[in-house]
Amino acid sequence: MKISLNWLKDYVDLSAFSVEEVAHKLTMAGLEIEDIVDESAKYKGFIVAFVKDRRDHPNSDHLSICTVFTGKEELQVVCGAPNVAAGQKIIFAPIGTIIPNGDFKITKAKIRGVESFGMICSDAELDLSPDHSGIRVLDNSFVEGTPIADALNLNDVVFEVGITPNRPDALSHIGVARDAAALFDQKLKYPVISISESGEKIQDYISIEVEDTVNCPRYTAKVVTGVEIKESPDWLKKRLTHIGVRPINNIVDITNYVMFESGQPLHAFDLDRLKGKKVIVKSTSAESKFTTLDSKERILPVNSLMICDAEKPVAVAGVMGGENSEIYSDTKNVLIESAYFHPSSIRRTAKLLGLSSEASYRFERGCDFEKTKENAERAAQLMAELGNGKIVSGIIDCFEPKIERKVVSLRFARVSKILGYEVSAEEIVTIMKKLEFEILGKDENSITVSVPGFRPDVEREIDLIEEIARIYGYDNIPVISKINVTLDKKTDDSAFVDSLKNYAAGLGFYEMINNPLQSEKTASIIGNKIAVKNPQSLDMAFLRTSLVPGTLNIISENIKVGEKNLRLFEIGHVFNKLNNEEIKSFSDFEEKTKMIIALTGKEVTKNWNNAERGSDFYSLKGCVESLLSKMRLKSQLTTVYPDKANSIFEYHFTKTKNNSILGKGGKVNADILKKFDIQQDVYCFEFDVDEIKKLNPDSKTFIEPSKFPKILRDFAFIFAKNINYQEIIDYIYKESSKLLKSAEIFDLFESDSLGKDNRSIAINLEYYSTERTLKEEEVEKDFNKLIQKIITKFNATLRG
Amino acid sequence: MLNNKIIDEIRLDFENELKSVNSLQLLEELRVKYLSRNGKISTLFEQLKDVSKEEKPMMGKSLNDLRNFTTGLFNDTKEKLESVNVSGLPKLDLTLPGNKYEIGSKHILTQTVDEIKSIFKGLGFSVSEGPELESDYNNFEALNFAPDHPARDMQDTYFINKDFLLRTHTSPVQVRVMEKSKPPVRVIMPGRVYRNEAVSSRSYCMFHQVEGLYVDTDVTFTELKGTLVSFARQFYGSGLKYRFRPSYFPFTEPSAEMDITCYICNGKGCKICKHSGWLEILGCGMVDPNVFGFVDYDPEKVSGYAFGMGIERTAMLKYGITDIRAFFENDFRFLKQF
Repeated sequence: MKISLNWLKDYVDLSAFSVEEVAHKLTMAGLEIEDIVDESAKYKGFIVAFVKDRRDHPNSDHLSICTVFTGKEELQVVCGAPNVAAGQKIIFAPIGTIIPNGDFKITKAKIRGVESFGMICSDAELDLSPDHSGIRVLDNSFVEGTPIADALNLNDVVFEVGITPNRPDALSHIGVARDAAALFDQKLKYPVISISESGEKIQDYISIEVEDTVNCPRYTAKVVTGVEIKESPDWLKKRLTHIGVRPINNIVDITNYVMFESGQPLHAFDLDRLKGKKVIVKSTSAESKFTTLDSKERILPVNSLMICDAEKPVAVAGVMGGENSEIYSDTKNVLIESAYFHPSSIRRTAKLLGLSSEASYRFERGCDFEKTKENAERAAQLMAELGNGKIVSGIIDCFEPKIERKVVSLRFARVSKILGYEVSAEEIVTIMKKLEFEILGKDENSITVSVPGFRPDVEREIDLIEEIARIYGYDNIPVISKINVTLDKKTDDSAFVDSLKNYAAGLGFYEMINNPLQSEKTASIIGNKIAVKNPQSLDMAFLRTSLVPGTLNIISENIKVGEKNLRLFEIGHVFNKLNNEEIKSFSDFEEKTKMIIALTGKEVTKNWNNAERGSDFYSLKGCVESLLSKMRLKSQLTTVYPDKANSIFEYHFTKTKNNSILGKGGKVNADILKKFDIQQDVYCFEFDVDEIKKLNPDSKTFIEPSKFPKILRDFAFIFAKNINYQEIIDYIYKESSKLLKSAEIFDLFESDSLGKDNRSIAINLEYYSTERTLKEEEVEKDFNKLIQKIITKFNATLRG
Repeated sequence: MLNNKIIDEIRLDFENELKSVNSLQLLEELRVKYLSRNGKISTLFEQLKDVSKEEKPMMGKSLNDLRNFTTGLFNDTKEKLESVNVSGLPKLDLTLPGNKYEIGSKHILTQTVDEIKSIFKGLGFSVSEGPELESDYNNFEALNFAPDHPARDMQDTYFINKDFLLRTHTSPVQVRVMEKSKPPVRVIMPGRVYRNEAVSSRSYCMFHQVEGLYVDTDVTFTELKGTLVSFARQFYGSGLKYRFRPSYFPFTEPSAEMDITCYICNGKGCKICKHSGWLEILGCGMVDPNVFGFVDYDPEKVSGYAFGMGIERTAMLKYGITDIRAFFENDFRFLKQF
């Protein structure tokens, strides 16, 4: 919200303090000054000057040549305005001045052969008004050389204040002034309201009936007759413009002025347009149509609080007035509405209508229920002063049942318990009084206060403690120099995922962080997706069901910029519905932590010392195995199978243990790649991190390395191609004695000479015992027996 | 007459001359000068015959030591020089690039969170996590956001339906932690959060936060300040200036925002700090008694503080990243830099 410093100074004397000091103190008390705009800056350079002499330009029929006295020197200036004349005090822009309207700089110029050393200005050039019909002629009392901002009182500083939702009291100049007064130890000066009333009775003009007293606890009305609708005076227009409000006419401007002064939103009705001399405040019982004063027809939801006359609704209470009762240029008699509406009722209506106004913004945060009368009178006073209106005697104030002030007690000990620092009882009382809390009682341990109506946020002891801390100054609360650390065991939920990330990075993968919000198309590839009710765009309307599609998207984007060799990983949450019902509880959906590793392009790029090697299925499998072995889950069953029915992978494998699936992955199906516009092979594997974490043994175990020598053997067989390597290895372990510790393939060979359907597999065998040195013969026996069994079992031929 | 002094001098001469030998040719010259049949050392052996009988065994031993020592040095040098070809260049072109073994890396946001975690772990905090798809109750209601309160407008929310949403802050983990365990609790809660805002260079639909919570019998605002000052010194540098400003969060009271002197301009005022000289780094406050009410803690017996900070903003400032979207585009050239 914008606060004008000049305006603020009407209510608190800040003359002894600099703009920076005021801004700093307010910021440090919770009214954050986000920006400071010096309004006078744009009038820099302009001064008052005197036209000493004027003569016609020899080469033009409309230009004049003037001699201008600036207080220091006399300058020759060419002027095009028809109304310039000798003897005038004018606004002068010397060479170097920047003209705000158009943002150009005055330079020495030659106009139709005559030199000109500056410019005599109209209001338009200074952005004071759109009037550029002639130059602005100033009062003769101004002294030459005076900066124009001083002369015309254009010096103002405007603060942009960030007001948090708990501080509706600060949504006005008086509200900010109240804090400033407390902080600078000054007195808060309320505007003096003095009105003279006409003698006619308000009851003869209007009657008010509040049907819905829950949503409209207080409705105050005042009538002013015979007003003259016209432009507001300069001072009022200036104040409103400085805080970014467009002046409209004196009556509307006054209601705005009083709102920005006091925080009380007011509405002015054209009294003669209200039928039946009656105002009824009630909530709608059915959906209805209504045209607001911005000429838009709106659909009012059920239970909207409305202001009605005897026949029809005339305003959406607290949000916006109706076109049918607004102030027109021919308005004579005005009804001023100054009400207190229930915050949540206004918020609900404003939200449903999608319509927010300065009024609704204040009402929904909570206005002052105590001052509706004073504020109505303040507006009436200004309407009499600035619109020649007559104030009708009396006021209608529907305030039944009356809202009572909240009463809150504060224990002094509680202040130091929360803040860790003692604030003296006297100081507490002083702060409370400065903020206009009324002290109802005080003893040595506590005080009891009543909360003024403008502070709806203060209800409890802790709220008072915050007020004390805020005014006392957070910076004045000391910083503890040591902290205690408990001896309890510390836990870290994220440690497991952190270690996975470290291992993946160690394997050469780079971590991505992808947006879990996806398009319907992407989220539909796997799983049972969950929709977001109010997405920003259709691209981000569903939650990801798997990390695979998002990864493919990133791979695609990288390939487009020429990054074709990629090793990527991500750990993140995926979301799936567990049934087709609407989500009503946490058991209707599953949020799991998954990890994906993805490979594409070259694993080793061509290099002077290395041949190039592309990533392939076995690259992926090797990485998966490495990671699982770091998780101490290496020896788990691996199922490898081509699965045409599987829609994501052309061929894939699954890692399982104890029937729980640790992850799935493989070569991504070309059809899927096409959807992402990827033309190279992609291999990826998605781990179920929650499962891995569950199975990962907590403790590491130590196996003493064998002290006895190993005996190595190897053999190669020709097998039929339809025999899986895994079958062979499993059989070798099954049929060997315990002395065999490891069997691993070291060569695979296919050739026409072996026959089209055959291949040669060579295997290394490692025998040893942890208890004794093995004899050659016992290994030999074991080994030879194995050879015979393999030959028989697989119909294999020993090659050597 | 042969004596130990002469032997020492020869040894020193040999060592000195060897220092300037940088080719096999020079080494050979040195060998001829000292170690050949007519070399200096052989000549010394010839002089042995003139030494007295008593001194002869000792002198002989000294000469042998000299010969062994110099021959040893000669051989070492020869070996070294032989691995270098005649022109003085190494046999291998050592300037060729090495084989590439690439270590990957964690995302810069992960690295930033890791750094923050390790600082708070050092201050006695545990680490807890919670889900991203949350209930309205945990995300708002139990954190003292009344259903119709304008405070809800502070956080634009992605709703799944009226009861479930994408969490807008990591604070619901506070509720989960307190529901699960009795005080004292001292945890930080890193995680991903979502805001329903238009994507631009300065805001994204999701970002990351680290939340902190400490509840015990005597937790005070002074301790909150102390803990966060310690964090800021460790994370941003020990010399920084800071300030705590009153602010508003429904789940803390009193609430504050912590600013540090802008480390881009050193507090002088620049574009990054909007010419204020200050950078807001986190929000914090004393846990509101209403929150304790929701999790069944007795606010008369315990007090606590909570804080939360955004990670993206921190990393953007620290590394000069100007567009928040860069974190989530995952351009390989971006990822590889960290």
